[in-house]
Amino acid sequence: MRNEIDGRVAWITIRPLIGLFPIFLFLGIFFIGPLVFNLSQSLHIGTEAPAFTQYIRILSDEFYLSVIRNTLLLAAVVTVTCALLGYPFAYAIARARGSLKSWLIFIMLAPLLVNVVIRSFGWMVLLSGNGVVNWVLEGLGLPPIALMYTWTGIAIATVHVFLPFMVLAIASGLETLDPRLEEAALVLGASRFSAFRLVTFPLSLEGLQTGSILVFTLTVGAFVTVMILGSSSTMVLPLLIYQQLTVVSDWPFAAALGVVLVLLITFILWLQARLSRANWRR
Amino acid sequence: MQTLSLWLRIYVGLLTVFFLAPILIVVSVAFTSAGFVAFPPTGFSLRWFVKVLNGSQFLLPLWNSIQLGIASTLVSMLLAVPAAITLVRHRVPFGDVVIAFLLSPLSLPTIILAVGLLFFVAKVGLGSSFAGLVAGHAVITVPYVLRTVLGVYSGLNREVEEAAQVLGAGGFDTFRLVTLPLILPGLLAGGIFSFLLSFDEVAVALLLSNIDTTTLPVAILSYLVFNYDPAVAAISTIQMAVVIGLLFLLERIFGVQRVVFS
Repeated sequence: MRNEIDGRVAWITIRPLIGLFPIFLFLGIFFIGPLVFNLSQSLHIGTEAPAFTQYIRILSDEFYLSVIRNTLLLAAVVTVTCALLGYPFAYAIARARGSLKSWLIFIMLAPLLVNVVIRSFGWMVLLSGNGVVNWVLEGLGLPPIALMYTWTGIAIATVHVFLPFMVLAIASGLETLDPRLEEAALVLGASRFSAFRLVTFPLSLEGLQTGSILVFTLTVGAFVTVMILGSSSTMVLPLLIYQQLTVVSDWPFAAALGVVLVLLITFILWLQARLSRANWRR
Repeated sequence: MQTLSLWLRIYVGLLTVFFLAPILIVVSVAFTSAGFVAFPPTGFSLRWFVKVLNGSQFLLPLWNSIQLGIASTLVSMLLAVPAAITLVRHRVPFGDVVIAFLLSPLSLPTIILAVGLLFFVAKVGLGSSFAGLVAGHAVITVPYVLRTVLGVYSGLNREVEEAAQVLGAGGFDTFRLVTLPLILPGLLAGGIFSFLLSFDEVAVALLLSNIDTTTLPVAILSYLVFNYDPAVAAISTIQMAVVIGLLFLLERIFGVQRVVFS
């Protein structure tokens, strides 16, 4: 009798939550499952004695360490460039009205809708030895520049891939900002520049931070652009994982590299959480 | 009311060139009559479109991509709608944590998911089947559908649902006749977004597909590794047309500004 009542109480508490069951089951199997598999694969669990051999291999080899450094460096350069290029554009979107605003949003979204593979191909046509950029330079009487298969070329194309995310993040912050705040500063005698520096910019920092974290994590995980525009001397972590998997077929090593990548991203997200909490307190 | 200053206008113009150049260049190369990628394009012809549409090299992947996009979107919807309704309607214990977990696939690089899925799928015996691809893509797209549906449903006046129930509608009838029509714009917007994501996804498709299930981006990528000719530009232009058509639909249903700033 008591058990029956307990059972019914449990059912009444759980029953309304049944709608969450399918999604939890699905993500448990196809999202958490693969991640756990990845981790156990990297530690040789199930095949031999669990060991950290793969991780020691990564940390003791100068090449793999340099790949990790290059990945982080590329992400940092791309993030800073996106922030610098994207901010004025986001400001323009937030301040524009009517059809101009719609057009600016469309222009920013357009690249986002074209596949990364296709955009990289576009950059190939632009940057290659007899490509468009050199054709223009030649027309202007300037010497050609080699951008294909270099870090600079990869950085340019990657900025193009992720710039919309930065613009979106900054613009949605500026969008909610009351333009009258800036006008008030102007009325009170601030110059346009100091009104921007002292009022608008500090209030847009949150969007800038969100955008930066987003672009950084996306770049750390991106490999298609590097695959198409890079050469053997430009290697990043996700591409190395792909190669270890498909070319070398070294699954445990690829898994360990994957875990390193996840740890890097978790660290960045943790840093963001700390930063935004610090902002909150201020 | 401020207008944009001259310098800002010039800057916006320059950045517009940067944004659109690689895309427009691909389209212009697609219509060349030359046998190779050249700029400025020499002559106008549709020969590369004819070539692409006559062979099955890209048509099968295009068809695969469309099927995959639809299947993973449907799976995402079936998973996200009941979850969103439950999260809004009931006081779910640790609701914030639950939502954070359900949205967490967003911050994982797809290559990691792809690698994990590859191990997993091999172990479970799904092989490089279509089902494995659908599952992988649904993991990526379900957070987006969940987010849009959550957004629309939590903004809804739920007294309408209560009214329907007071008037005698059962749980399912209330959903079918009241809730569903009300969340439909959000659901469709999330669905189209989810389709576009799947249609564009490379990492999971690259690792989990085989020669029969390969998707369009993967086919273009593999072609690019060995070839450099206007055929790639032509098939790319076709893919863009599909995507822009869908965006137009999205704008019609929901309004781009609302999707962007939701």
